[in-house]
Formats: sequence, C-alpha cells, structure tokens
Amino acid sequence: MMIRERPLAGRMIGLYLVVVLAFGAIAAGAGYWGVVRADELASSPNDAAVQAAARMATRGRILDRDGTVLARSRRTDDGTPYRVYVDDAVSTPVGYASSLYGAAGLERAYAAELTGQTGADPLSRVLAKFLPPADRRLDLRTSLSLDLQRLAVRLLGTDRGAVVMLDPRTGEVLTMASTPVYDASAVAAPATSKKAFARLQADDATPLLNRATLGRYVPGSVFKIVTAIAGLGSGSVTPATTYPEQPAAEEDGLLVDGYRVRDGHHPFTGSTALDLTGATEVSCNIWYALAGLDTGGANLDAFARRLGFEKPIPFDLPTAASQLTNGGGPMAGGFLDDVELANASYGQGEVLATPLQMALVAATVANGGELMEPRLATAFIDRDGRETTIGSHSLGRVLDASANAAIVRAMTQAVEGEYGRLFTDGAAVPGVTTAGKSGTAQIGGTGEPHSWFIGFAPAEAPTVAIAVLVENGGRGGDRAAPLAGRMLRAYFDRQP
Amino acid sequence: MTGPASLADPAPRAGAPAGSGAPAGSGAPARSGAPTLPAFARPRPRPRELVLLLAVLGAVLVGSLSLGLTRTGRLEPADPVGFALFAAGLLVAHLVLVLAGRRLDQVLLPATAFLAGIGLLLMERLPQGLVVQEVGSTTLGLGELQLVWLGLALVVATTIAVGLRSDRWLRLYKYTWAAAGLLLLLLTFVFGSEVNGSRLTIDLGPVSGQPSELLKVILVVFFAAYLAENRILLADARVRIAGPISVPPLPYLAPIGAMLALALGIVVVQRDLGAALLFYAVFLALLFLATGRLTDAVLGLILFVAGFLALAALFPHVQQRLAIWIDPWSDPLGAGYQLIQSLHAFARGGLVGTGLGAGLPETGGRLPVPAVHTDFPLAAIGEELGVAGVLAVLGGYLVIVERGLRIAASSRDDFRALLAAGLALVVGVQAAIIAGGNLRLIPLTGITLPFISYGGSSLLANALVIGLLLALSDRGPAPPGPPRPPRFARLRGRHGVGARGADGAAR
Amino acid sequence: MTDDWLTLLLWVVRLGFLLLLWIALGLMTRALLRDVRSAARNPAAALGRLVVVASAGRPAPGTVFPLDAVTTLGRDLGSSVVLDDPYASTNHAVLTFRGRAWYVEDLGSTNGTFVSGAPVTGIAVLGYGDEIQIGDVRLRLERGRA
Repeated sequence: MMIRERPLAGRMIGLYLVVVLAFGAIAAGAGYWGVVRADELASSPNDAAVQAAARMATRGRILDRDGTVLARSRRTDDGTPYRVYVDDAVSTPVGYASSLYGAAGLERAYAAELTGQTGADPLSRVLAKFLPPADRRLDLRTSLSLDLQRLAVRLLGTDRGAVVMLDPRTGEVLTMASTPVYDASAVAAPATSKKAFARLQADDATPLLNRATLGRYVPGSVFKIVTAIAGLGSGSVTPATTYPEQPAAEEDGLLVDGYRVRDGHHPFTGSTALDLTGATEVSCNIWYALAGLDTGGANLDAFARRLGFEKPIPFDLPTAASQLTNGGGPMAGGFLDDVELANASYGQGEVLATPLQMALVAATVANGGELMEPRLATAFIDRDGRETTIGSHSLGRVLDASANAAIVRAMTQAVEGEYGRLFTDGAAVPGVTTAGKSGTAQIGGTGEPHSWFIGFAPAEAPTVAIAVLVENGGRGGDRAAPLAGRMLRAYFDRQP
Repeated sequence: MTGPASLADPAPRAGAPAGSGAPAGSGAPARSGAPTLPAFARPRPRPRELVLLLAVLGAVLVGSLSLGLTRTGRLEPADPVGFALFAAGLLVAHLVLVLAGRRLDQVLLPATAFLAGIGLLLMERLPQGLVVQEVGSTTLGLGELQLVWLGLALVVATTIAVGLRSDRWLRLYKYTWAAAGLLLLLLTFVFGSEVNGSRLTIDLGPVSGQPSELLKVILVVFFAAYLAENRILLADARVRIAGPISVPPLPYLAPIGAMLALALGIVVVQRDLGAALLFYAVFLALLFLATGRLTDAVLGLILFVAGFLALAALFPHVQQRLAIWIDPWSDPLGAGYQLIQSLHAFARGGLVGTGLGAGLPETGGRLPVPAVHTDFPLAAIGEELGVAGVLAVLGGYLVIVERGLRIAASSRDDFRALLAAGLALVVGVQAAIIAGGNLRLIPLTGITLPFISYGGSSLLANALVIGLLLALSDRGPAPPGPPRPPRFARLRGRHGVGARGADGAAR
Repeated sequence: MTDDWLTLLLWVVRLGFLLLLWIALGLMTRALLRDVRSAARNPAAALGRLVVVASAGRPAPGTVFPLDAVTTLGRDLGSSVVLDDPYASTNHAVLTFRGRAWYVEDLGSTNGTFVSGAPVTGIAVLGYGDEIQIGDVRLRLERGRA
C-alpha cells in the first residue's frame, strides 16, 4: 500500500543490485589481472618495468650445458651495465640485450629471471616487499653446447642455413645455429651499439632472423617422413605396401589428374615395386605420391598437426608455424586437389617447414613416436648457487612404437643401405648406426635447390636428432648430409 | 505533473467549500504573508559527516606521507600545503552545510572526498609536467591544477546543496535545458579542437572544456522531467507488438527518443563513444525506473547491441576499438599499446601495489600509459595501491550510488526520484565504463573516472551532480518539538493561540 | 635511518594508507547500513497518512500520501503534497507533527484551509480522522502503519 505513494522505491533496489553486480564484475577483473594473471604479465619480457629494469640492471649469466659462460654482464667506467657474449656463434639462440634496442633471443625470453624480476609464490613476493631489495638475478643454464654450436656455424660457413640438433628423449636443444651470425657484443656495448644495430638491420642476409625457428622453407624429400608417419599411423599404408604401377611410372611420370609426378632419379631399381623401406632408401617420389593419395589429405593434415605443423611450436624463442597447404582448399586438409596432395606427399606443393619443425619430425621418430617439447632453458641458478631445474615435457604420442620402428628401419636404410648411401653420402657416423633422410627442395625459378637432411643416431637407441638446412645448397646428399655427418661425429666424439 | 501551472495565487473564491456549513473565507483574511518556516534554519550539527570527513582526511594524510617518504626518505607529506588546502576546503564546506541547517545527506560529501583525495594524491604523484598552466607569473603543475579544480568543484557542490531549495526551475524548463545542452554540443562541433581524433574539447580562447560532461547532467534533468510527467502513460498505455512483448506508446517516447538520438548522433560523430554509452545506459535505467517494465530495458539493450554493430560496420574507428578489445596483443606497439600497458600496470601492482610513488610511471622517464591522468587513473591506482586500492575506489562509487538511490527512493515525487537516481547512476555508470575499459572487460572508450581523473570539466560536472544530490536529499525541516507555551505564544502571539492544551479549546 | 628501517617504515606507511582507506570506507558503509536499518524500523509515514477523499483533478481520490513531520501543501511543485486545484494557493498550508499531535497551519492562502468544515486561523490541532479541505480537495488524516 505504501508502494503506491513511492512507487519507485522498490525498483531502486533492483537497479542497485545491477550496479553492484557490474562493480563486482569489475572487481573480479581487477583480481584477474592483478592477482591471477599478475605473475605472468609482470614477468613477461613485454612488461614496461621488466624492460626498464633490464635496461638499468645487470643480468645473470647464461651458461651452456657444460657450464661455459655464454653471456655475462660488465660495467663501463661510469657504472652502466652492458652484456658481453662469448662467441658470435651463439648469437642466434642467446640473442642480445641492449639498453637502446631492447633484447632478443634468450635474453628477451628470460629477461625477468635474468634481471631478478620474478619471485617465487605471490605471498613471498608480498613479504619480500618488506625486506631490503634482494639480489634475485638468476643465472640461466641452457642445453646448448658451445663446441657443437661453434662447429655448426663453421660448417655452414658463408652459406645461409640452419642446424638444429637436439636430444630426442628430452627435447633439449644442443645446437641451434643460423647463419649468418652476428656480433651480439657489438650490439650490447654502449659505444658500438648504434652503428652495429643499424648495420645488422640494413644487411640483406638478415642475420637477426633466426632461420632455425622463423625461416620457412620448402622441405622436399625430408617431408616424406611426415607422409610415412601419417600413412602408417592412419593404417592407410603398411611397411609392405607396394604399388604395381610405380616401376612403370618411373620413366614417364605418374599421371595424377592430368599432372605428371616425375621421378626418374633411381633407374637402378628397375621393375621392382618398392615398399616403404625401398622407397625411402631411394627417395621415390612416385611411391610417396601414391602413399599420400592413399592416406588422404585429412590424415596427412592430422598427423602433421600432431607433429607441430600449422601453429607456432611451443619453445623458448619465437617460432613460425610450418604449413601443409596455403589453406582454404576444398579438399580435406585444405588441399586444392589431388595434384597438390600428391606433390605435398614428397614435400613440394605448398608445404613449408622450419628447420626446427623438421628436427622435431626426426626427433619424434628417434623417440619411439613420442614428441618432446623442444627447449633451451634447463635450469635457473640463484645467487646462492641453488639450482631449479626445468623438467622436460611431452607434446604427445604421434605414432605407436611398432609403426615407428618401420620408419626407423627405412631411415636407417636411407643412410646405411647400399642405394641409400648414394643419396646421403657422408651422413653415416663410423661405428654408430645412423638413420636419416636427405632432401633436395626445388624452389622454382633458377635458384639452386635447398639442401636438407634430417636424421638421428644411434638408430637402436637414439640420443641425438638433427636437422640441417642449407639455402640453395644443391642436392641434399651433397651439402646437408655430410654436414650432418660431421655434426653427429662431433657429438659422439664428445660423449665419454 | 501539473501542467503549465500558473504560479500566481488563485482569485478569491465566492461561496463556501462544498459540504461545509461554515461561512466562506470570513475567518481567514486573504493575506500574502511570508512563509512561516524560516528561510534559514538554525545551524544543525552534522556529526556523522564530520567523523567520516576526518577519517577520509586521515587516510589521505597517511597517503601523502607515504608518497613523501618514498620520494625523499623522510616522513613528511608530499605536499603539505596541498593537503592543508584540501582539508581546509572540506572542513569549510562542512561548516557551511552545518550553518545552512538543512537536513542533507551526511555521507555523500565524505564519499566524494574519499575519491577526490585518492585522485589528488595520484595527480601529485604523476609527473607534474603532464599538464601545465601559466597563471600570472606562476606555473601550476598537474597536482596544483587538480587542487584548484577541486576547490572550485567544492564551491559548486556546496553552493547548490545550500542554495537550491526548489526544483521548480529544473523541472519546468526541461526543454530549455535540452536545447541548451544540444547547443553546447553543437558549439563543440563547430569550435571544437581535435584531441586524439575526437572532437571532445571546446576551445574558445580562455574557456575550454569538455561539454559532454556538462551535457550528461542536463540530459539526466531532461530525462527525469519528461519521464516523471509521462510516467503513467508510458507504463500503462502499452502498445502490444508480439505476444507478451509490449512497448510504451511510441509517440510519447518521441521527444525523449529524438533528444537521445541527437545527443548520441553528435557524440558518435565526435567519436566520444564513452559518453554515448553513458547517456544510453542512464536513459535505459531511468526508463526502467519510470515504467517498471523489464521488457523496456531488454528491448533497449537489444537496440543498443544492434546500434553498436551498425556503428561498427559504419565507422572504422568503432571497429578498431572492438578489435583492440578482442585482441590487444595483435598490435602491441600500436593500437593495443595503452590497453596492454594498463593491464600490465594492474599485474605489477598485485594485491597491495608497489606503494604510492614507487610504480613505474616515473622511473621509466616516459609514461607507459600516456593518458594515465585522464583515461587510465585506475591503472595507476592498480599499480601503486594494488587490487586492495582498486576495490576501495570501487567501494567509494558504490557508496555514492547507494546514497543517490536511497535519496531517490525516499523522494516525495517522481521527478525528484528519477533525478536523484539518474544523477547517482551517471556517476556509477561512468566509473564502471572506464574501469571496465581499463580492465578489458568492455571495449575501451575515452571517458574520465569521476572525481579522480584530472580535468576541470569532469570535476565541475560531477560536483554539480553531488550538489544536486545533496539538495535533493533535503528531508525538510526537522519535526519541531512540542509547542511549548512561552515560545509558541511569542511566535504565534498575534493569532492568539495559547498553550498546547488550549489549542483545541481556542477553536 | 638505515635502509632496513626505512624499508620497514615505508611499508608500514603504505599498508597503513590502504588500511585507513578501508577504515574510511567501512565507516561509510556502516552509516549506510544504519540508515537501512532505521528505515526498516521507521517505515515512512509511521507518523500519519493523508488520504485524498475527494478532488476535481490531481491528486486523484484514493491517493495516499505518507507524511513527513513537516508536510507542505500547495500548488507549488516543491510542495510535499502538490494540489492541482484552481482554488489552492502556491503555498497553501503546512502540516506539522509536534511531539504528540498533528497541527495544521494556513500559510495565508487566498481561499483558506478548513478542518472539518471550520476555517483555520493561524494554527489548529488536527486529530486522526479529521478532514482538511483546500479548494475542492478534501484530505483525511489517518494513522500511520503500525
């Protein structure tokens, strides 16, 4: 009855509730960014405070797997800190930290830890505010090996290319070389910073580009391993699958929808219909085109994605997404037609892959079909020498072990086999069973093809996987395979 | 409500009132006497306001000490003179309200001072060179200018609270107000200077300001007056459109719709999306209050979303705002920069913040968030006072909204109720829009955080809101005590009314 | 002052500021809650209500006005009870509750205020159930809700 005179009073309560709810949502938002996401944002290399501190503060050291110091801080006479790097060879993964140009590589990815911007749990961070500022700079231990890194850069020489070498069991990256390298110390030193950085930016060879993670290349025949994984994994192909039409097609090519898939570089196999091992050993495009067509775009796409294609690979450094197609094609997997699928099956078509991605393909086969997340950082060491290790992390099983074993056998044959040696000359390590696959990626136009090799060893129980790419390096067997062989030999030489 | 009422008294009426046998008017000589209730009541203490003001001043003083200690390493206020002026201004305002003797709300002024105090500390803490004004031979920086504006705002609020005794001129001249408001906007459009791609500022020689701040108050007055007058009609004469869904009779919504559309249109063309959002939200809330139909609010909301999508399709700048909101990280150094920096500021602050003066804005030499003093003060609060500080600020707004709605709920008529509710909501919704924008809950629109952001237009317009709310909160004269014979006789002696007990007998 | 002490003091002051902000907010909230409680205890119009018995226009018959301790009647829009009656004056009359009883006072209106048919001169006591007449509007004073 009172409501008749002050009719709006009741509605005010409803309205106030709406306002309270809205403010509650805002409070929740403040809690979300200020508490839940706080650690992540506040220790991100994009954070303004981290960047400001990174400019002003000295940083912790960056170490290689043996404890060799890769990066250390010095101070100029007037006390300004700056970074010094052990060798140009590590510039790709380690990057630089400059007061003028920010940071790159691991220096950027772990800026917060190196400059002491991270604490442990939120509570102790709150408590830490009551104490005098502690030196919380951390040293970063990496899985890199300075020796192997130097060797890779030396072997690439004046060529542009990339070498990625990793432990397939843990994902620890031992070598991540990209040439040309650059003088990170010159970028970091206050006196030379401006000139050095301007020169690097103007350089056509783009030394600041990490080719191993950001360079996307036509993979050519090394991609056949992905097709084999998809074929066996989906059950469309078995290790014994042969195609009767294959031997005949060697001469004139295989007609797919009016387009001829050409091969003809292994006349010595004659009229024998090849199986998986044989086709891998002699790198038979026609067998792989037929296998890819059998497997189908959907399966090829699904297994490529499991291997890390189509999205950036989780890693300490920025990575580019490798691709199977340009996307948008009407067929399953985004292929335009069977021609593109057939070409993609042996690594042409619209396939583009980063050296890191192809190294992971080799590592997956080497690790019994399970893909480990690649990583460079293995531990943080605080001022008191306490070490916090970073564990390895599986990205999931791609292929079951028995199917995987067939691919291991095929890749072993491709390096150790009588015919295989013709294509992968120099990759084999004496005394160690080596497995691998070379690639000669046609890039169109008049340019020399990109020279590829991926592999691992020992084939029985692999401890190391490798991918080598040399831009315009010619046939895979001529340039990339021997380079990989030198790297693998050096790897086994340093093992006790 | 009563139509164009003639304010002149009616002509004497011949004859007795119907049903009354008494002789007409014979006993009551027509007189144009002064109102019996005195224009200025006796001073009335406001103890609750005083206690709350002292609590707020205590907090601000400690805040100032915190800033001073961070800066100099000595336990002293960052700006002793500034704090003294702030405290003195508030206490004088309190004294004026006490002397005025009206029974006004006692929480609104402290709640406003709470927010303004935090804002003042923030402006003293930010680089003073952000805003500089030459006054005579002295140069005033950000903090000093904010103090000057706060002083003026206090004068405005107190004057209205004490001086506004009748709402007649507000409710009668609603179309005049509406016209004045639109004229103001048009002036901005013609003489406006462009800041950040938006024509928000009017700049006529010495006078410059953001008219949309004043416009929001004018619009609320107009909405309240119009809706109060047509409330019954809008609520009862429904036009059924489909099933149980009905809308108010459209012709009666036309004037208010036209006003709203015009204001929104101009505002949108000027790219002041925050103001457009504010106007529309407050209008919807008032429409709901007036008609009590949830369907009106829901339909309004649907219209709003449709309108927003249409705007996004039409204007690239709306589209860009939307894109930044959805993924600021797609352009971290360009369009998304300020928002990302704002989020990082909240993250750096954590639960209790870095402490006043210890956040990043100063140490970097340049500001991570350039518009920190106008559009992003909440981010600075989040960084230096943490989530705890942000929640306190939000609480301050909730107090003001609660007071406003309480004043509205106990208002004696629709106009006053709608006006009070609208004014309270203008403050609350505006705070929510910019706070939500800073926290990426809603798309970011440039609008000030009431009482905290730097800026004369904003502070004065919001002071107007508080002044009006205070005036509307007047509970009328206090119930007089029982008429005591001597005093009553003295006051009413000439009418020959005697002692209390004799009242009945005297008749 | 050593650095340790300075840091400690710094954080005492910083957290003290936050604490005081919350105390101020808490005091304000307490004031709000007290008002909510007192409003629940003393519903409006506990003192009395004015029921419109008859009128030519607005307020419509049957309308109930809760009464504040001081309630003004008249054509003025600022009045507590706005009377849209041609014979009502701008500020016509005022009802006051003083101690225990209601009083009505004519504010010098042109056409007078009548209580139970008798014109009010100056101030008159008003009992529950009494009718006030102003112009054509008749209003009855009733007890507030118990």
